[in-house]
Amino acid sequence: MKKRILSLALVGAMCVALLASCGGKKKAAWKVTCPWAPSGVAAMVNQQAATKSADYSDTITLVPEAIKGDAATVNTWVANTKANATELVFVGEGLLSITSILDPDKMQFGYEDFIFVENLYSSIFVLSADAKLGIGSIADLEAYVQQGNEISVAVNGATSSEAFLAAALFGSMGAGDKLKLTPYQSAAEAAQAVARGETQFAVSHQSQILETYQQKGVTVVCAFDENDITNGDFAGVEGVGQHGYPYFRNRCFIMARAGTDEKKVEELKELYGKILADQEVADWLHDTMLLEVDTMSVEDVEAHVENVKSIVNEYKDIVAG
Amino acid sequence: MLQHIIPATGLLFTLENILWINVGVFIGSVFAAIPGLSVILCVILFLPVTYSMTAIPGMMFLLGIYCAGGYGGSVSAILINTPGTPHAAATMLDGHPLSEQGRTKAALKIALYASTFGGVFSALMLLFLGPQVARIAAQLGTAEYFMVCVFGLTIIAGVSGKSMIKGLISACLGLLISCVGSDPMTSYDRFTFGIPRLYLGLDLAICLIGLFALVEIMAKAEKRLDRLDLDTTQIKDDGVITKAEYRRMARPVLVSSIIGVLVGIIPGTGASEASWFSYNTAKNMSKHPEEFGRGSVEGIAAAESANNAVTGATLIPLLTLGIPGDGTVAIMLSALMINGLNPGLSLFTTQGDIMYAIMLGLILVNIFMCLQGKFLTTLFAKVVSIPQEILTPIIVIFCFAGAYSVNGNYFDVGVALIFGILAWILRKLDLPPVPILLGLVLGSMTETNFRRALLISNGSPKIFFSSIYCIIFLVLIVAAVGTIVRGKMKERRASGQKED
Amino acid sequence: MSRWVEQFNGRMDAWGRKLHEKEIRIPIDLVTGVVFFLVALVILLVMPDQVAVSEKDVVNGRAFPTMLMAVMMLCCAMLVAKELYKLATRQPLNWKVINVQVEMKALVILGILIGTWALSKITGLFVVGAVFCCLGFLLYFRCRKKSYYAITLVLAVAIWAAFRFVLGVDF
Repeated sequence: MKKRILSLALVGAMCVALLASCGGKKKAAWKVTCPWAPSGVAAMVNQQAATKSADYSDTITLVPEAIKGDAATVNTWVANTKANATELVFVGEGLLSITSILDPDKMQFGYEDFIFVENLYSSIFVLSADAKLGIGSIADLEAYVQQGNEISVAVNGATSSEAFLAAALFGSMGAGDKLKLTPYQSAAEAAQAVARGETQFAVSHQSQILETYQQKGVTVVCAFDENDITNGDFAGVEGVGQHGYPYFRNRCFIMARAGTDEKKVEELKELYGKILADQEVADWLHDTMLLEVDTMSVEDVEAHVENVKSIVNEYKDIVAG
Repeated sequence: MLQHIIPATGLLFTLENILWINVGVFIGSVFAAIPGLSVILCVILFLPVTYSMTAIPGMMFLLGIYCAGGYGGSVSAILINTPGTPHAAATMLDGHPLSEQGRTKAALKIALYASTFGGVFSALMLLFLGPQVARIAAQLGTAEYFMVCVFGLTIIAGVSGKSMIKGLISACLGLLISCVGSDPMTSYDRFTFGIPRLYLGLDLAICLIGLFALVEIMAKAEKRLDRLDLDTTQIKDDGVITKAEYRRMARPVLVSSIIGVLVGIIPGTGASEASWFSYNTAKNMSKHPEEFGRGSVEGIAAAESANNAVTGATLIPLLTLGIPGDGTVAIMLSALMINGLNPGLSLFTTQGDIMYAIMLGLILVNIFMCLQGKFLTTLFAKVVSIPQEILTPIIVIFCFAGAYSVNGNYFDVGVALIFGILAWILRKLDLPPVPILLGLVLGSMTETNFRRALLISNGSPKIFFSSIYCIIFLVLIVAAVGTIVRGKMKERRASGQKED
Repeated sequence: MSRWVEQFNGRMDAWGRKLHEKEIRIPIDLVTGVVFFLVALVILLVMPDQVAVSEKDVVNGRAFPTMLMAVMMLCCAMLVAKELYKLATRQPLNWKVINVQVEMKALVILGILIGTWALSKITGLFVVGAVFCCLGFLLYFRCRKKSYYAITLVLAVAIWAAFRFVLGVDF
């Protein structure tokens, strides 16, 4: 009797497993892999978009996943994902424009391995300075640089977007040789470093320096954008573009695997469009994350990638030595 | 603090969290009850499971295993005179004799209540001391953090076993393994040997599965297949503890809990040290020292409350500085970081609700441990005699499934296997594995802060002596190493005299 | 079948008894010192190939591993020196006895582990490797209770199903 029960249990367990694996689902779950830190801006936006997906689609559910690893995570994703797989991945200018030039061996993929779905947001980086330096504008900064002081900038990662923005700004001011980039493990750490006086400057997302700025530990010198920041706590901060300095925004492209059915891609783009048009999401992005909704076309993406590539090519000697 | 406690309570009291706490407590009790299976092994096996969870249920599950492991070890110590975990050895001295007197259930109850008291006391200490220590941690810069890391590495001296030189060799190996992957300061690859998957470095969980779990499977080759035929009818006594016994236990339980907390805060010392130290203290303080070793209720209570009082205390340096108090919580660090929770003051401010939920959860874990212990002790006792034939392949399947689930590929399972073979070789050479774990956990943090500090100071080592915190940590490092070395020398002299 | 199994077990036992008598004694500290000294040396030799550095770096990516290898070599030198001193002063060295039978058994276990990994990888089905693992270990332990086979296989499938369907691990 005992044996029979055990045999039945074994068969039962196997049948349940098989049935479960064959079970049809009406709603397709699209896993959206974010290859950066789970506490980072992109992962949080991914989470928010996934939460909202249920409200706007009966056929697609977005499932967020954050696997820190940058190029390595995307390598794995590309290797394991076939066309039409219900998988999406985040790719930014860091991979497409920076790693592809500085360390191409690290990337086992290229732009051609993806189909662009949508851009989730754009973020304007800001340069903050130790409050003791009293630098509050680009003019102050130029004066400080002209004095020939050594310039140390805290950045999130040695060859990150932040590092290249700092190199582009100080390099075009003619102070590339005086620039010392101090890499930190996260953007939040880099922002705290300038407040502690370990470095004179930091480049970070606006949201990551906000708390320190409100505590008067730092001044915000400029924004890496064409125009001044118009609203929020940093309203009035000058854009470096007006002074002729190079800049780019941080963007986050959602990609499907190349070869995926165009209709599916359209459906996903439409869903993301609806999520981003949701007032609650837009307000959250704007007010909490200090980001902008920024839907893009394939041409816009290619132009962004090329713009960043040109900056990287020009200033890579300052960053990578 | 209060502004976090109310939302934290809301976050904590969910069905999901309660469920995971209970699953963790159950698994921890079962693992610790089986001689040869350690709490650290259990946490390693189940760490990958938490990767798919959010921070609170993940940590609740692991804390459930960790705390229940403290109690579970006492079950086999009392029943079969074999400690399920090393720190239950002190419990065994009086637990088993009391069991032989026909008071098995009473011994188990004393161990359970003392464990619960120690655990709750420790969780409260964490709740009140954690934020204060974190506030100090927020003032630490890169150079100070390097000194903190070095202080953390002094744990090596305490976990090296017989030979500190061999402990250092192991630690160097662990630190070297932590260098594999992208250089955190330059993004250049290091020691990847052209293998693309190594760009990301080696995942802690995967390395640990090989180093601690698979090697134990290979070690089955060294052991005979003994079966523990436990007669569970022996725990059918009434389990009554008299009022006089409760009164006798009160003082040793409180003193031992304080000792457990103090020992737990110091990196490198753990539950074993706390339980022995408390046992001795209780014996010295007792009006009936002659009963110790013959079934003293004070002895069981002292040892058990101390080893569970370590649990919350070890989390204080972990959550505030990122320095693990012992090997098991070192693994929990990766469960926190995978959810973007980086130790430090920000953990108590920006993510205060989550952090307070975890700290309050530790109290809940101990309460559920008490309830499960009260109603499921007979079951835990039966588990002691699970046959190795069944247990061994199940552990292997858990190891492989866990290693696979970290990144979803078989390459990682292969890496775990390689680490298993490495651990086997190290075992043959009498090299301790725990320093490798510490090297893996602290390696990147130590190197990054060391190099960044020198970058800030333009290469001047004076930066490491530039602040009062650096000096304090320097003194602590010297004191910790000095104390441990002195202890080891005493130990060696004592064993030398014995041999003579 | 059972006769064949008994014959096989008998042969294994005879072989095991022979191996059990074979022991290798190694001066453990001396060997550890030499082995890890060589490991450190090899790491230092491959460092230039494996760690790229920039001239701009204040402290480059080789500094920390080099420092570690230096400490490791120093520790190894101390171990070896201690043992050589013992040898010179005719004190007993730290010996370790390696039993050949134990090592062979460990190799069999390693074989089961590698087989489990290989089968899972080749078939792409973790559950196939899991079933092989169960059978492998039960045979290794010479288990004759059919109920153990059934329980272990059910548990193996259940673990796979839990990871596959509850935790969403695709294997």
